[in-house]
Amino acid sequence: MKRADIPQAKRRTGIAFFLALGATILLGACAGGAGKSSSGGAKDSTLVIAMLGDADYLNPVIGSSVTSGNISGLIYPGLLQSEFDTTTGLLNFMALEKKLRPSSGGRKPDGALARTWIMSPDQRSITYILRSDVFWDDGKPVVSGDFKFTYRLYGNPVIASPRQQYLAELAGAERGAVDFDRAIETPDDTTLIFRFFKPVPEHLALFHTSLTPLPAHIWKEVRPEDFRSSPLNQKPVGAGPYRLQTWAKQQELVLASNRKSNLPKPGNIPLVNWRIVPDYTVRLAQLQTNAVDIVENIKPEDFGSLVKANPAVEIKSVGLRVYDYVGWSNIDQELYHKTGRIAPHQLFGSPVVRRALTMAIDREAIIDGYLKEYGTVCNTDISPSLKWAYNSSVVAHPFDPVRASKLLRQQGWLPGPDGILQKNGRKFSFVLYTNAGNARRNYASVIIQQNLKAIGIDCRLDVQESNVFFENLQNRKLDAWMAGWSIGLEIDPLDVWGSDLKKSTFNFVGYRNPRIDELCELAKQKLVQTEARPYWLEYQGIIHQDQPVTFLYWIRETQGFNKRIQGEQLNISGTFYNIDDWTLSPSANLAP
Amino acid sequence: MLTYIFKRLLLSVPLIFGVLTLTFFIIRLAPGDPAAFFIQPGISPNVAEQIRAQYGLNDPLPVQYVKWLGNVLHGDFGRSFSRAQQPVFEVIAEALPVTMTIAGLTLIANFTFGIIIGIVSAVRQNSFLDRFLTVTALFFYSMPEFWFALMMIIVFALKLQIFPASGLNEIGAESFGPIGFFLDRIWHLVLPVTVLSINGAAGIARYVRGSMLEVIRQDYIRTARAKGLPENVVIFRHALRNALLPVITLMGSSLPFIFSGALFIEVIFAFPGMGRVTVEAIFARDYPLIIANTFISGTLIVLGNLLADVFYAVADPRIRL
Repeated sequence: MKRADIPQAKRRTGIAFFLALGATILLGACAGGAGKSSSGGAKDSTLVIAMLGDADYLNPVIGSSVTSGNISGLIYPGLLQSEFDTTTGLLNFMALEKKLRPSSGGRKPDGALARTWIMSPDQRSITYILRSDVFWDDGKPVVSGDFKFTYRLYGNPVIASPRQQYLAELAGAERGAVDFDRAIETPDDTTLIFRFFKPVPEHLALFHTSLTPLPAHIWKEVRPEDFRSSPLNQKPVGAGPYRLQTWAKQQELVLASNRKSNLPKPGNIPLVNWRIVPDYTVRLAQLQTNAVDIVENIKPEDFGSLVKANPAVEIKSVGLRVYDYVGWSNIDQELYHKTGRIAPHQLFGSPVVRRALTMAIDREAIIDGYLKEYGTVCNTDISPSLKWAYNSSVVAHPFDPVRASKLLRQQGWLPGPDGILQKNGRKFSFVLYTNAGNARRNYASVIIQQNLKAIGIDCRLDVQESNVFFENLQNRKLDAWMAGWSIGLEIDPLDVWGSDLKKSTFNFVGYRNPRIDELCELAKQKLVQTEARPYWLEYQGIIHQDQPVTFLYWIRETQGFNKRIQGEQLNISGTFYNIDDWTLSPSANLAP
Repeated sequence: MLTYIFKRLLLSVPLIFGVLTLTFFIIRLAPGDPAAFFIQPGISPNVAEQIRAQYGLNDPLPVQYVKWLGNVLHGDFGRSFSRAQQPVFEVIAEALPVTMTIAGLTLIANFTFGIIIGIVSAVRQNSFLDRFLTVTALFFYSMPEFWFALMMIIVFALKLQIFPASGLNEIGAESFGPIGFFLDRIWHLVLPVTVLSINGAAGIARYVRGSMLEVIRQDYIRTARAKGLPENVVIFRHALRNALLPVITLMGSSLPFIFSGALFIEVIFAFPGMGRVTVEAIFARDYPLIIANTFISGTLIVLGNLLADVFYAVADPRIRL
């Protein structure tokens, strides 16, 4: 190569590069067009759901994330079909030929594997009669032995199933380990008997014995210690309306309608694609451009612009299952850690002070400013959706700073020279902690800070990384914090308010009231669920009066749906409750 | 030179090992619990304890360290806590190609644009073009990448709808055929690579401009011009070669930057790459995965630096390794 050639060669490469870049962009644009039109075709048969995170295990024994639960529910057979009755707030269980209560939703119980059940008169055993026409994907029949086999897995400490407490009433559990030979009996392939060590209410028996089975013939060779790492977890064999087609970890998980399923039938939509999109803004953008059909947990501040930018999107809401609260440590945590002695907290130890704090906080302002019609003031941890147990006569503590100041004065808290309340030389001053990355709590915490300042309380705000924050909560290291709970559909609040602080690991505030312990026990002993209502009414009255925490608001969870989805019935028990009945209407995509 | 490379490689073993040991202790001393997810109402309190026992987290720290050491020396970095007990290197084997693609493309784009802009600015020093390029470069250089990425998504994915907002491929891309699939992949990579490279290119352009200006003023350039060589030859043959020397070191040291940049680019654009694996592993306190990631990125950084030194020697015969 001659010397003079070099620069020209360089220049040529430069030009070639620009040309290549131009071509790429052009191709990109073309591919964009092509991608869109062809994806339109593929999308007519595919429902696309954007998810924050991937499923962990597609295995009902060890799957622990909500996504895993949603997907497993579509792949595996269910013994019973459950239904949340919105008129009463009770959970209903249905077999093919029997219902716990009359059904309100009108959904046929075709998805249940059990034909019927018989509860023994002493309520110490339940016998299921199974259908004989249900088959696993590999053609083998689903039999009662599959349940017995899987329940052993649920109860195996080496496997560490997050659902092992469902086995708490089975025979042998009272002595520490379930005696499976006695507790579960399978006289033949279609008869399944569960035995309890004590009388169990029917609804609880149904709830706890309807865990999802695995195919025993496939899993029986897997040793418990290899259970979590078994490759079988990647290729679930089920019998439900969908089966797993592909799973590209951290990218997408595709379910295909299971043509052979009769539980209740193959899913209507041929393909369901769960895409993992970790960033909220991007999920929102994708919903707006019709790239995905469903995005969960849309923030209220985005509703307006989203629906305006894409009229094909609608916001659907379900609730009320989630509430936020401000936790006030009831006891002196430091003293408790050091000596195990329990003494009231210097600032928040008195119920009167806690009531005053609740009155000082303008909960309506937080709802109006952030949640709007998707929030309701919260009085106790029993949701208004659980109508059968909800106490509607409990009236919310009003926003009344004057009254709050008066109550605090009665308790000896008087303004000091700097305007901050003082008692025995101790200032009413504390740090309110919350976890990072929650816009709603950030918004609320600023209002709370202002409200408290107005009555002479110095509240500083601090945000901690979620993992650190929850560890501090568990170790009862914080005096005041803001967090939330998502409640179960069965009322069981002893974990959160029980007086035995060692046992009640979620009683972060250290609240203790023996009557609450008593009421929870009494309610549990009732063999007919609705007969526990009087106990729950009294419970709410006491919690409201004691204000172990300041209950802020119930939140309706808000999901963005493309209108091309039809037949969806959102429900407190889940967004994807009847997904196998949904259909896609391609013409709805053409809306302006 | 081979002896030098061998020596450097030998030295890097204790270095990487030290980094891993430090990481091992730091993540275990940091607050947070890998089993924290299982501590919630409705889940039996035994589960968290059983999970900890499975992970071997109940042993005292020195015992854990010795066990870990034994495994690592056998090449076993363990199984991920948070990703369904997948062996960590399997997780990384899935993620690394994605990040390598992005990093490779970014590196090429970075240096191509950076060098071109730098040369133009230097040769036309103080012209309108130079000022314009300088201001533009500084503008992009000072822009936070995550914000820039979101803006690009809003403009190109939301408003203009030319490029996709996330993912590696379109839904149903498998049916496009191999060429269609490839084009679809490229189409998905345009936005993230642009975001990552604009920022880097701006920085490199400033370097190249600076070093080019210095070189152009040297005597031998004047000599080259005086003996009547065409300006192109002077700039590309005589000036550029010398001006690029400091830029070569940049290449090695920019590797870690591109990796760290890929961190949030992958989260924002939903790419299942190393960055996302690392971020999620940290939030989940997935110790084996965090350590394996540190191992991979640490090794890449050490190799990147070594490569830069070797390139340096190749490009400049005055340097003897």
